[in-house]
Amino acid sequence: MGKKLWMIFGPLLVASVVLIGLLFSPFKINRISPTIEKQAATSLSPNILKGDAVKRAALSDPYYVPFFGSSEFSRFDLTHPSVMAEKYNWDFRPFLMGAAGTQSLTHYFQMQGINHQLKNGKAVFVISPQWFVKKGANPQAFSFYFSQLQAVNFLQKQHGTRTDRYAAHRLLKMEQNTDNGNGMINKALRQVAQGQKLSASTQRNISYYKRLLAHEDQLFSSLKLKDDNQKKINRQLQALPNSESGDLIRQAIIKQAKQQTSNNDFGIKNSFYSHRLKDKLGKFKGFERNYDYTKSPEFADFQLVLNQFAADKTDVLFVIPPINQKWANYAGLSQSMLKGFNKKIKYQLKSQGFDHIADLSNQGSQPYFMQDTIHLGWNGWYAFDKKVKAFVDGEQEIPSYKMNNQFYAKSWQNLAPDDLNSYIKNNG
Amino acid sequence: MLSLTPYENPMYFGMLAVAFIPIVVGILWGKRFRWYELLVSIGFILLSFGGPKWEQGVALVGFLIFEVILVSLYNVYRKKKNDTWVFVIAVLLAISPLVVVKLTPLMSGTPSIIGFLGISYLTFKAVQTVMEIRDGVLKDYNPWFFLQFMAFFPSISSGPIDRYRRFRKDYESVPDREKYLNMLEKALHYVFLGFVYKFMLAYLFGTILLPKVQHLAVQSTGLSWGLVGVMYVYSFYLFFDFAGYSLFAVATSYFMGIETPMNFNQPFKSKNIKEFWNRWHMTLSFWFRDYVYMRLVFFFMKHKIFKNPKTTANITYVLNMLLMGFWHGEKWYYIVYGLIHGVALVINDWWLNLKKKNPDRFPHNKFTEYLAIFITFNFVCFTFLVFSGFLDTLWFH
Repeated sequence: MGKKLWMIFGPLLVASVVLIGLLFSPFKINRISPTIEKQAATSLSPNILKGDAVKRAALSDPYYVPFFGSSEFSRFDLTHPSVMAEKYNWDFRPFLMGAAGTQSLTHYFQMQGINHQLKNGKAVFVISPQWFVKKGANPQAFSFYFSQLQAVNFLQKQHGTRTDRYAAHRLLKMEQNTDNGNGMINKALRQVAQGQKLSASTQRNISYYKRLLAHEDQLFSSLKLKDDNQKKINRQLQALPNSESGDLIRQAIIKQAKQQTSNNDFGIKNSFYSHRLKDKLGKFKGFERNYDYTKSPEFADFQLVLNQFAADKTDVLFVIPPINQKWANYAGLSQSMLKGFNKKIKYQLKSQGFDHIADLSNQGSQPYFMQDTIHLGWNGWYAFDKKVKAFVDGEQEIPSYKMNNQFYAKSWQNLAPDDLNSYIKNNG
Repeated sequence: MLSLTPYENPMYFGMLAVAFIPIVVGILWGKRFRWYELLVSIGFILLSFGGPKWEQGVALVGFLIFEVILVSLYNVYRKKKNDTWVFVIAVLLAISPLVVVKLTPLMSGTPSIIGFLGISYLTFKAVQTVMEIRDGVLKDYNPWFFLQFMAFFPSISSGPIDRYRRFRKDYESVPDREKYLNMLEKALHYVFLGFVYKFMLAYLFGTILLPKVQHLAVQSTGLSWGLVGVMYVYSFYLFFDFAGYSLFAVATSYFMGIETPMNFNQPFKSKNIKEFWNRWHMTLSFWFRDYVYMRLVFFFMKHKIFKNPKTTANITYVLNMLLMGFWHGEKWYYIVYGLIHGVALVINDWWLNLKKKNPDRFPHNKFTEYLAIFITFNFVCFTFLVFSGFLDTLWFH
């Protein structure tokens, strides 16, 4: 009987022991190879944001510089920073983190796994004005890039500050709308949001859960990488001149951009124009007249990110991209509203000591600066590249930030830029 | 309190594995620990119907008490007399909670408070017991055992539907060691096959592919490739989800030394629609065959309602399948689904008969067999498209 029982249950037992060993052991179980790191740096896959293992492996080396942003990263044309860095063998490579739908809150939570790597390092952060809409981050989009591992990382490092409470509150709000939470985690988040301390047993359970999630991440997240983007990059490498000469690069830009924006008067890439705009063009006229990026919960979510950079003493270059001027005129997007946004976000940055700002926002009318309506391309990427390269190659500064929790308040989120001066007077 | 839907979560399987160790060891040594089995059953029923679902738990307990009293009273009566009207009333009473649960949403738009997950499967078991008492084949009815039969936790929420006498035979004996070892081997195999079905294939079809084809299909209201996609994807999803679930229920019973009957037997390789119903959701179609179809045919013949035995059979097919449609729910697409299958069975009988009478006109070879499988499969997928209710969303919402 013993033999027969072993024949039946033996494989199950062995498999269970191996699996439990893999998932709960305190050891790291999978080495991330340089090939995976390279792929991950441009893959833009959601599982890179969801996991820790690949990001940690890559960002442990200053060779990879974290680039936080959103959908602009998927615009791989010849001057895209990942293309330029590879072609001219820069001393660093961008590690792109962000895709359509990633906003401040996603970045705040995905940073929780890489605080150690961000410490005293450099980073680039592209701020999209389009994030700062009235309703703020979309719960569906947020949940697409969110993982329990991010929540567990957050719970382990929080110690009940205003930032922690606000972050827990925002996370609960997002989860409430997508109901994909975990009972234990949500309970702990509620306690943090209410300013309570987590009990020793909760902390222990969280750390066991963390082991399980971390090993799952180590085992599987490198399997789901797509390498389509590397193919795009390889194609673009051909379009660049072999020497990194400004004149030749500008010529190459004009050659590619002219050819790819031939079917419309907006300077928008042909494929984008014919797929997304052409048929509905009439509908878009004046459509964005009432768009407002000046009052949004996103300002407070952005403050979470700033606080995290401050805690990690990361030296950050913030980039504010423009909007395609011809398109903005057509769609009726208000210039004064955009100026207001610019003023407000810059105040939030500068007043807290974030002084590295590459403000490209007034260059939306330059030729071939944008690839479509709102995303950088060609000349825009080239301007971006120069700022970014100078920043990364420059001296590492030890930043001194003066954080101000007032930026979490509703009164800041909803402040009209016209009232900024009186706000400064009252709060300064 | 912790609450888990049966067979949906790794923790549920882990708990099953631990709880079953004493049962398995006991049976291997020829012993059933009745009280322990009872405790495990209560524990797992609480796990499914307790905590946030306590209202369903209360409804379940109320339902069980009601049915046990009803069937026991009928048993007492049947020992003395055998009037048909009493039998009819007993059956009607036995199905009355199910009827209330099915009709309440139509009347008030909200689910009934006496409903719980699995009420229809338990109703089948109760009705069948009443009928066998009436037939006189179930002579030693025991209320306490009947309760355990009804509340047998592995199959409580979605079948398979076992039979009182078959269940008792297994329950009252202990399988010998060699047989039980074979059962264990099968059980573990079923569990892992179930994992493949429910957590891989049903996930692939239901969670990954179905939303994509549905999205394609709603771009237009008529025939589209998207709609064809919905038809096949939904059919595979339905099969793998339900067959996976049934495998878990059968495997769990095997661990307890009970050979709960299988529910699916490779239904998509049926050569005709009658064969399909002998392979698809078998315990349900056999239940309908034995307790609706046969009895209706017998009733019609006895009272000579239709002259022709073929007419009797045909009308009964349609009535039988219509009733099955109504049982699924009071929605047009369930009823149409039942109707189509009823008519299909009639046509199927006519065709097989025609073929039998004219062996020279209709060749029978490997090719015609594959053709038959192909036609049956596509027909069945089409009826599942109706069943899915997707057409309702597409056309009327």
